[in-house]
Amino acid sequence: MTESPLPGAVNIDTIDRVLHEPARLQIAALLYVVEKAEFLFVMNQTGLTWGNLSSHLAKLEQGGYVMIEKSFKGKRPSTSISMTPKGRGAFKEYATQMRQLFQDLPA
Amino acid sequence: MNSLLNLKEIEKRAIQSTYQDGLMDIQYGLIVACMAIFIYRPESGYSPLNIILAIVGIVLTNLLFMVGKRMITLPRMGMVKFGEMRHKKNRRMAIVLGVFILAQVVLVIFTSLGLFNSQIGSWIDKVLGNHSGSLLVVSAIGSLMVGVSIIVMSYFTDFDRGFYISILMALAVFLMIFLNRPLWPILIGLVIIIPGVVLLVRFLKRYPIIKEGGEHD
Repeated sequence: MTESPLPGAVNIDTIDRVLHEPARLQIAALLYVVEKAEFLFVMNQTGLTWGNLSSHLAKLEQGGYVMIEKSFKGKRPSTSISMTPKGRGAFKEYATQMRQLFQDLPA
Repeated sequence: MNSLLNLKEIEKRAIQSTYQDGLMDIQYGLIVACMAIFIYRPESGYSPLNIILAIVGIVLTNLLFMVGKRMITLPRMGMVKFGEMRHKKNRRMAIVLGVFILAQVVLVIFTSLGLFNSQIGSWIDKVLGNHSGSLLVVSAIGSLMVGVSIIVMSYFTDFDRGFYISILMALAVFLMIFLNRPLWPILIGLVIIIPGVVLLVRFLKRYPIIKEGGEHD
């Protein structure tokens, strides 16, 4: 079945599936408003468990949305995470698509 | 997992989480105590020792705050560097505080003119009635300057407890100048410090140090 798209309509196939998952969306939203954060900070802010956060971050990293840097601060290992320009663009695009999708929805 | 998604709120929550350790409250309380030394006028006469002791006290307080953040907060909460949203707010705060400092400088210049110009001094005393009246005005202006500055800082840094701390600090400055007894501001400093210590203990219990791969209780 092929229908001609309505003007201003959003093709739901183009919605970013990496960001569309609630936990990843929450991580992305936090990283969008900060320049850089340590793994521990993101974990505390999102309330995700260590394993959960690791797996979601791995998916975001695979998509090129976040950059993960591992280093040592003295004897303490530190993992800092920042959003890449690609990730910022994707997050903005996702927000635009979501706004567009529901803009004509009657209240 | 938190399900609310509002970028401004997320950023605000992130910065407010950095105040959970109570270190800021402790720092403000100690600054009030240092200010008591700075403003106290002993019967033997005001000496440069007051200024030196106050500066040393404030430097030590700030060092304590920085060491606390490094040794207590960062290993438990993790480091965060805020983005453009926060930089914009900080720039606005710098402008507002700059205007305040300028106003304070002008006020100090006028006060000095009044001090060294007997005509202006006697005119102020005549208008206000007596010496205690002018002391009341100086105390009120001093407390207003400190109180409003802390309110402005608290507003721009989203430090909600800063609003009641600003009232307490203003009261401390007022009592320090008007009564010239350091006991009151030191007591007010303690009133600011105690909730900070309670928050610090709660923070230590809530966020134990964890190793990579581990989790909080």
